[in-house]
Amino acid sequence: MVLHNLLLIFLGLAGGFAVGSGFVAFITVLGIVPRLVQLSKTGKMIHLYEYGIVLGVVLFTWFDLRGWVIEAPVFITAFLGLLTGMFVGMLAAALAEVLNVLPIMVKRLHIQDYLLYILMAMALGKIFGSLFQWLIFQVW
Amino acid sequence: METVIYLRLKKKVLVQCGQLLRLKDICYLVADEKWQYLQDLPIHTVDLAHGNYALIELREVIERIRQHVPQADLRNIGPLQTIVEIMTPIRIPKKLSIVLIWIFLFTGSGLAIMNFHTDVNMKEVHERIYYLVTGEKEKNPLVLQIPYSIGIGVGMILFFNHLFKKRFNEEPSPMELEMFLYQEAIDQFIIDDEKQKAERKDYDGSP
Repeated sequence: MVLHNLLLIFLGLAGGFAVGSGFVAFITVLGIVPRLVQLSKTGKMIHLYEYGIVLGVVLFTWFDLRGWVIEAPVFITAFLGLLTGMFVGMLAAALAEVLNVLPIMVKRLHIQDYLLYILMAMALGKIFGSLFQWLIFQVW
Repeated sequence: METVIYLRLKKKVLVQCGQLLRLKDICYLVADEKWQYLQDLPIHTVDLAHGNYALIELREVIERIRQHVPQADLRNIGPLQTIVEIMTPIRIPKKLSIVLIWIFLFTGSGLAIMNFHTDVNMKEVHERIYYLVTGEKEKNPLVLQIPYSIGIGVGMILFFNHLFKKRFNEEPSPMELEMFLYQEAIDQFIIDDEKQKAERKDYDGSP
């Protein structure tokens, strides 16, 4: 029994270690935090942001695994939705940027002056795609 | 004594096919009044025989000026070559191609985010968050999902530092920086490539 529990503790720790380090590596490669720091000019606070990420991950994991229900008013979820959506949006933008598709396409097609419209197309496309999925597209 | 002529070649010039390039087209000249006529010195005639890029090296410019002013003291204060890019006519009208690309990216992005949501089972996650926060089960937590959808767009715009014509500050967006680096890499490649071509031509004497 003790041995089982020790093994489970070990497995949990090892799995958590892998997932946690993977998450941090992913966030680092995409460079979302540096981007936010650059926008807000708060380079000195970077450690605070690191703690924010770690705390968020641990807290959300804990709430999810333990099934803790807060029973807060519904409008709180709207607020959460906006924040998580923004994060996913930044993730998507960063991913598109890492893949380096747009600079090449824009150059090939000689539309350097219209980069702005191209970016708007992507942002609006994501909004409408997402809305479409939640409002109309139902296969479940 | 006043024979010092400072040359600064332009990094890159955009020209029409058949255009005769004069010194002032490819180079900034800092010199005495009496040397200003050199500005109109013909250097190079543009043709498409060697592709739509050509390279004018500082060496050629110096030789050309020496022919006219052998005693000139030439000093370079800029790049060692100018890239000449010959404009080729574009077949598809610009407006049309932009509209097409716009629709293409719009639908592509929309589909990609839907794929992502399915891939990570976002619907279930939303239901779970909704339940954990409010304590009620809801199959379609739209109060959460609609702000979430708008948030995606806001996040992307934040990342790219653009809101239609307005930008949040003077810094370049990651995309602009990426385009700049890409262009720099192309320019450097053209310089090396054209030089290599010229050397090969010198070596085996073929045209």
